[in-house]
This record gives sequence, C-alpha cells and structure tokens, in this order.
Amino acid sequence: MSESIWIHYARPRPQWYRLDAAEKSALDARWAEVEAASVAAGGERVGRYHIRGQHDFQTVDIWRFPSPEAAFDHWARLTAAGYNELFAFSNNVGLPLPEAS
Amino acid sequence: MTLLTGETDVFSSAGTAGRTAVVFLCRRHGDTADIFGEAERRAVDATLRQLGEEGWHLSIRAMIDPGGSAEAEALDAGFAHPYDMAGVFEAPSLSAAIEGTIRLERAGWERLFATEWMIGPREFAAVHGTGGDRPRDWGFLAFWEWNDNWAAATPDERAAYDAECDIAFKGDLALDIDIAGRHRLDWAHGWHHLGAWLAPSPEAIDTAITGHEAVADFVFTTSRHVIGRVRPIRELLAR
Repeated sequence: MSESIWIHYARPRPQWYRLDAAEKSALDARWAEVEAASVAAGGERVGRYHIRGQHDFQTVDIWRFPSPEAAFDHWARLTAAGYNELFAFSNNVGLPLPEAS
Repeated sequence: MTLLTGETDVFSSAGTAGRTAVVFLCRRHGDTADIFGEAERRAVDATLRQLGEEGWHLSIRAMIDPGGSAEAEALDAGFAHPYDMAGVFEAPSLSAAIEGTIRLERAGWERLFATEWMIGPREFAAVHGTGGDRPRDWGFLAFWEWNDNWAAATPDERAAYDAECDIAFKGDLALDIDIAGRHRLDWAHGWHHLGAWLAPSPEAIDTAITGHEAVADFVFTTSRHVIGRVRPIRELLAR
C-alpha cells in the first residue's frame, strides 16, 4: 500500500441543469456524506479548482488517499450514490515517484 | 466487488476479489536503437517473469484460462491503429497493478514506448465461446463510457438495454469468441469499462460488433475499439 494522489475532473451532465435548487442541495448533501466518510478513513481533500477556461471539464478535485484502494473505495461510494449520473468525469490516480534510478 | 452496472445472463460477478486489469496502449518511439538494446530487452523480460511469479496473468488467454502458458502476450495493432502494441495483464491487486507499471517502465519499457496505462478491478467472470478449444489468435479491446443518455435513463430502461446487449453478447460467444469478463476503469480514467476478447479471426470480431450495433448497444455508450494479432511480447520487443 502506498499513498496515492487522486485527480477528478468533472462537469455537469445536461440533466443536472434540469434539477431545481432543492434537488441539487439534497444531492450535494448526499455526496458530502460520502466525502466525509472518505476523510474519516484517512483521505485528504487538497481542493477543488475551476478549469473551464482551458479544459473539457469544469472542475478538478484533488485528493490524497492512504492507498489506491482507498481512492477506488471513495469513487465506488460516490457512484453508488448516483454522482456519475449527474456529472461527466475523468479520473487519474498516481503513486509518489520512486527515486530516479 | 462494486459493480457500476448489474449482472446479466451472460455476465456474472467475478469471485476474484482484487484481480486488477493493467491495460497498455503503446506507441513506439522513433529510432530507439541507441537507448533500447539487449540489456533493456532482458530487463523488461525479467520484470515480466518476476510479475508472473508474483501472481500476474500476462495475457488475455491467461486471464480467461489461468494455469496455462506463462508467456507474456500482446496485440500487434499497428496495422489498424496509432498504437503499435496493445494488451492487458491482470495483477493481484490495485496497488500491485500500479507499482508493476512503474517497474516495467523503469526496466526499459519507457525507452521503447509512450504508453497509456489503464488500471481497474475485475467485475465480471470470463466467458468462453461455444467452439471449445481452438486457436483464437486475434485480440480485441473495447473501452466504453456510459453517456448522457444512459445517465438520464430510468432503471427499467437500463435493464431493457442490458437485456438487448446480452443478445449481442450471446452472439459473440456463438462466433467462438472468448470474453475475459469485464473490468472497471472509471475510478482512474475517462473510460468506464474494459472488455477484452480473443477471437478466431478479424471477420468474427467485425460480425460481432455488427451484432452490437443491431441491438443499439451504442445508444447508451461511447466506445473505442482496438484489434490486433496476438503475439508474444518478446517478439514485439525484438523488432
């Protein structure tokens, strides 16, 4: 197991824009619970940044997790909570670079 | 295992907790004669053998039928794609998968190829084509993402879609195609899933995909497909 960085690009799918404010808030609260559980399990949210000006996606979220398995678990719980149905995405995972040989 | 979408008649959840696909799409650098030689070839080969001893499957064949040849294999794909070599291994865990890509790159792989690696756990078990034990020397990789139409569909609409796609998958098996189950890539890539096949011929693959078009497989997905002749990696590295 190694510390891992996890990078999540996202933009709303069309049906996100069809929800009213209360529906969006309820979903955001649901996904915030998933994120809180990930933090409680040792994950750290580095931050969310706006990138729409120079990317296909709107935001990038950067997390540190104790292992790639923890990153997978975070994403599996988000998708189980329906997040991927409202947001298009692309993800990356990475391990710290070993010392150059 | 967490499934992104549910089981079907053809595909059942795999009892292979943690087994993780390591996909590689490789573009050969230009002239590498002065940076990739016999020493690097031997180092990559030794790393592959070491990974095999650590429980990796080093070919689509081994992912479908473990216990056979340990020869590392890949698809010779340059005739149809910008990728010169493509393929899939299967590692014992997510962490082992990522670390293995770094070990291979460091052994010399990075000197020969610019590689897009994709990594993700097995969801569904392998399924055999109907033709029994016969040569299946052509490989096929399918990558797909569930599109906005799928995301907006109701559970009933998705279940009806899965049933229609199962008709096409049964057609694939009837064309003597072996399917290495399904793997989930979405946690670390833009593609959501991998399907890897071994087929008797390119014609079988083309007929199979025509069957998938007939059941409107692609109404809910955006896909990329890679086809290639299965060959030992040591031969592809020796070019």
